Amino acid sequence: MTAHLTRIKSRLSVHAHRKVRGLLDGEYAAIHVGRGIDFNDLREYVRGDDVKDIDWKASARSRQLLIKRYVAERKHTVLLCVSTGRSMAAMNDAAVSKRDLAVFVSGVMGYLAVQHGDLVGLAHGDATRQSARPPEGNELHLERLLGIVHDAIAPDGPPSDLTALLRYVARTVRRRTILVVVSDETTLPEASVDILRRLTAQHEVLFLTIGDLDPTLPAVADRRLVDVDAGAEVPGWLRHDRELRDQYAALVTSQEQQLRRRLEQLGVVHERVRDTESAISAVYRLLERHRHARRR
Amino acid sequence: MDLTWNGGGSEFRWPWMLPLLVVLVVGLLVWWARTRGRPPAGAAYVAHADRLRSLPRYQTLVRRRVIIGTCLTLAALLTCAGAIVLSGRVQERQTMQQDDRTRDIMLCLDASGSMAEVDAEVLREFRTIVDGLQGERVGLTIFSGVAITVFPLTDDYDFVVEQLTEAEAAFGTGGVYSDAYALYTAGTVVDWSVQSQLGDGLASCVQRFDRKDEERSRAIVLASDNEPIGEGIFDVAGAAQFAADEDVIVHGIAAPLTADRPSALQLFDDAVTGTGGTFALLGQDGSAAAVIAAIGNLEARKIDRPPLVQVLDRPTLGTVITGIGLGGLVAVWIAEGAIALRGRRREDTP
Repeated sequence: MTAHLTRIKSRLSVHAHRKVRGLLDGEYAAIHVGRGIDFNDLREYVRGDDVKDIDWKASARSRQLLIKRYVAERKHTVLLCVSTGRSMAAMNDAAVSKRDLAVFVSGVMGYLAVQHGDLVGLAHGDATRQSARPPEGNELHLERLLGIVHDAIAPDGPPSDLTALLRYVARTVRRRTILVVVSDETTLPEASVDILRRLTAQHEVLFLTIGDLDPTLPAVADRRLVDVDAGAEVPGWLRHDRELRDQYAALVTSQEQQLRRRLEQLGVVHERVRDTESAISAVYRLLERHRHARRR
Repeated sequence: MDLTWNGGGSEFRWPWMLPLLVVLVVGLLVWWARTRGRPPAGAAYVAHADRLRSLPRYQTLVRRRVIIGTCLTLAALLTCAGAIVLSGRVQERQTMQQDDRTRDIMLCLDASGSMAEVDAEVLREFRTIVDGLQGERVGLTIFSGVAITVFPLTDDYDFVVEQLTEAEAAFGTGGVYSDAYALYTAGTVVDWSVQSQLGDGLASCVQRFDRKDEERSRAIVLASDNEPIGEGIFDVAGAAQFAADEDVIVHGIAAPLTADRPSALQLFDDAVTGTGGTFALLGQDGSAAAVIAAIGNLEARKIDRPPLVQVLDRPTLGTVITGIGLGGLVAVWIAEGAIALRGRRREDTP
């Protein structure tokens, strides 16, 4: 079993040096609507913490901004909803596969939840098969979930189908959760929009999309590319045509914008994860935007 | 002799190469088509590539690739076809019937002054029949005191006619006292006391026949007046006996003046007929034509030789097809390279 969580932790600790880790913590804490009223302890303020939580008196005493921490009223559930069709087995860019990236962002979200004592569950699936894991609140469980996601994604697997997965979640998940959707969809079909609308009523929906390798880039000219959906090779001569590259980039951009607009209309915060370097900041932005969206 | 090659039909030397190579090519194509469908090992996967296919530029590029690919395929198949034809080795089988008549005729002319006119006539007559010869070999020897081979036995008739014409001119036109005659017969008299030796001349001529191991009809046309001066090595009867031993038929042509010396004439006649040849006294029956006719009637012993067969490679067809195919391939590659280069250049200048 590859230690997915260890890798994520080590990367998060790298970020801690950049003073981001605590930042994430604050952002995560702020996504909960109903925070408890039982005071737990004080901790140093980090950006992202709600200003309302600052203990002004304590801060004045200790000459640093401290915020009150409360024991959560109840444990929240983060449900990782990962589309694990074969398109996830493709490359995100020349170096990182989408699978690794999906596992990574799921792990970051899950780890934040576990650190907060929340529960983490998993729903994953493709066009033919969807399944769910009950939420639990420990790292071992998270590690296991990440392993499941990792193993479920294979190039010879069934095609991706986010609509089916969302429908499965809508059908089976009864409790209120923070639903973290990790998918690589380029467009949202009407059916998905309907189900998402239905899900936003029940859950806090966070939407993370993972991009695709641009097969027209000369950077990958020396590699052989295979279309994971068609199973056929993407011919190498495509990587040398500027016009095609421009047209493709325009198409990708317009699809991305369309998807963003669609999700904005639904009130779902969305962030695109481009690579592992920017994944953590993407998660941060996602949480931040969600917080603002809620305050609105 | 029929000297032309009769061209047979073209055929393949190794016909089994054709199906073998066709099967090989088809097999390779099938293998290629099979493996093409499979994703290559070590390839990177890319998702949502179907978006690419909807782009107008993609369609244009694909159309271009299809055209180039079709041309390349056609050229490659053409090259393969040409190579297969070449490997089958197209050959043409040509046969030459060797029904050459195997006669060797040695003209043996007495070059002494008294014989010049007779020689010229004999040569003239003989020249007419050379045209009708096929496969026979003709040689010319002149003698007086000693014998000189003007040309040995040969079937190069152009050369023979040329030589005969030259000899006729030397003997006929200028007469005995002309430079042409003197030059032509130079060397036939070493010792002026020994001239016009019929016996020696005949024996020399007999020795001129080669290919003794082959069964050939050998004939000598001997023109002389049998008026020897001095003493030779062979006498006429002895030389005739030598000829008979060598299986050479001697046809004698005596000069008209020989009739004045009946004993010499008789000796000549006996010697010639003794070998089975004909004897004619020139002037008696008009010309040397009768003798020449007798030679023409001489039975040529046919040698039962198998027809000559030559097998010639005919690589032209295969080479042309392969060449066209290769030319097409090179042309398409050049076109492809030019397009790629243009694309790169456009890429370099953003």
